[in-house]
Amino acid sequence: MRVQLTQRILFMGLFLLTGMAALAQNNGRTSTSVASDTTDVFRIEKLTESDASILFSYYSQDGNNSPVTGGIGTEQLTDLSSKIIVNLALDDKNTISFDGGFDYYTSASTDNIDTYMSSASRKDMRVHGNIGYSRKAMNGLTWGFKLGGSGEYDYTSLQFSGYVSKTSKDGNRTFGLSGQAFIDRWSLIYPAELRGQNWVTTDQRRSYSVSGSFSQVINKRMQMSITADLVTQSGLLGTPFHRVFFRDQGTARVEQLPFNRLKIPVGIRFNYYVNELVLLRSYYRYYWDDWGIQGHTASLEVPLKLNRFFSIYPYYRFHTQSASTFFKPFGEHTTDVRYYTSDYDLSDLTSHDIGGGVRYSPAQGIGGLKLPGKRNRLLMLKEINFRYGHYTRTPSLKANIFSFGMNFSF
Amino acid sequence: MKQSIKVFGIGVALLALFSMSSCTSVEGYQKMYLNDQEMELSARSLEYFCTNFQSYREGASGANGGKVGGGCGCN
Repeated sequence: MRVQLTQRILFMGLFLLTGMAALAQNNGRTSTSVASDTTDVFRIEKLTESDASILFSYYSQDGNNSPVTGGIGTEQLTDLSSKIIVNLALDDKNTISFDGGFDYYTSASTDNIDTYMSSASRKDMRVHGNIGYSRKAMNGLTWGFKLGGSGEYDYTSLQFSGYVSKTSKDGNRTFGLSGQAFIDRWSLIYPAELRGQNWVTTDQRRSYSVSGSFSQVINKRMQMSITADLVTQSGLLGTPFHRVFFRDQGTARVEQLPFNRLKIPVGIRFNYYVNELVLLRSYYRYYWDDWGIQGHTASLEVPLKLNRFFSIYPYYRFHTQSASTFFKPFGEHTTDVRYYTSDYDLSDLTSHDIGGGVRYSPAQGIGGLKLPGKRNRLLMLKEINFRYGHYTRTPSLKANIFSFGMNFSF
Repeated sequence: MKQSIKVFGIGVALLALFSMSSCTSVEGYQKMYLNDQEMELSARSLEYFCTNFQSYREGASGANGGKVGGGCGCN
């Protein structure tokens, strides 16, 4: 009897020790979140990983065709931006995401809204944020939505978007459909000498878009995707502090543009893993809108893998477009037309963007800061990325942009 | 130059169509090259800033995962 009792105590002790060891093993896991199949017999854990990105950029431009002064005058502008993106995996199916950031900019051209006094628009800050949810449903179906907004001194915006995508069983093909809506509102600021009368009939702007995409694996080293957007905008599509000067009138007026605009861009990406050293990332876009603009954009990036973790990627982007039917340079419009602008963004232009970047992404990550919480997640730096681009646009705009980003997993 | 860009665009489109017609089924274990981060069929996260300023400085935008005209004072 005594022997039996001792055996039972030993057995229970062993059972408890085994359980505690298993628990300790679970607690020691890194970057996991627990999910799924739990039975009385055993438990299978599917590992999920969350990630976060911190991005910074510094942008500066200058030129001599500011629309604030009617198509002539300085376009000097600097912009300091930061953005944080967090994708938090709740389990292997559900993810919530947050992103937010700010742009702090100084602009000599918007300072010319009032040519006598330095205006409030000389410097401004734009803040923006979004929250989203996505779910991997059954049979390769994924769906999600996002809500957000942005605000700056003279412009506020609310954004809603949603998407659904379906991946084939073998994972070689994906169809996607998404929609976006922007509900925007201007705070109307006219050029100083043109205040005292209403130049526009609304301060609202609405933008709606639907986008279809298709991606296809071609072979073990090639894949491509096609994306087409259908975008419709309505409301105040001009900018209330843009001046236009005329051939047959001494004084300026505020830019006038149609109430509606329809845009159709179609883009193709084609990526090719040439060999262990060289890859090709190419992109082409055709653009059409009902304001008379047709555009072609092409870019080629050639990532060079110096080793497993380190790569450099020179790139070149070219863009050309025809002018909007409403555009004319300084002093060339006549007052008998209904719509007019001297904004060179809508002109016949070509632009070149050349630059490159370096990327360091160690497979195991760097660091391993233990985060508080039951899941014993470790914060690892997964990627450091730096990019520089030099941009020129006819007739006179030049810009430089420096970007820096870090990606973490946890 | 415009002709060159059109030729490039048509070339990419034809290459993509030609490639699609000769697609081979690639198994999950054969995707080590396709799963490389550099092979992602989307713009890099750092391109967000460039795409943003280009949508201001050019009348054309969209079809690249970025903004399509709302949410800012751009075109």
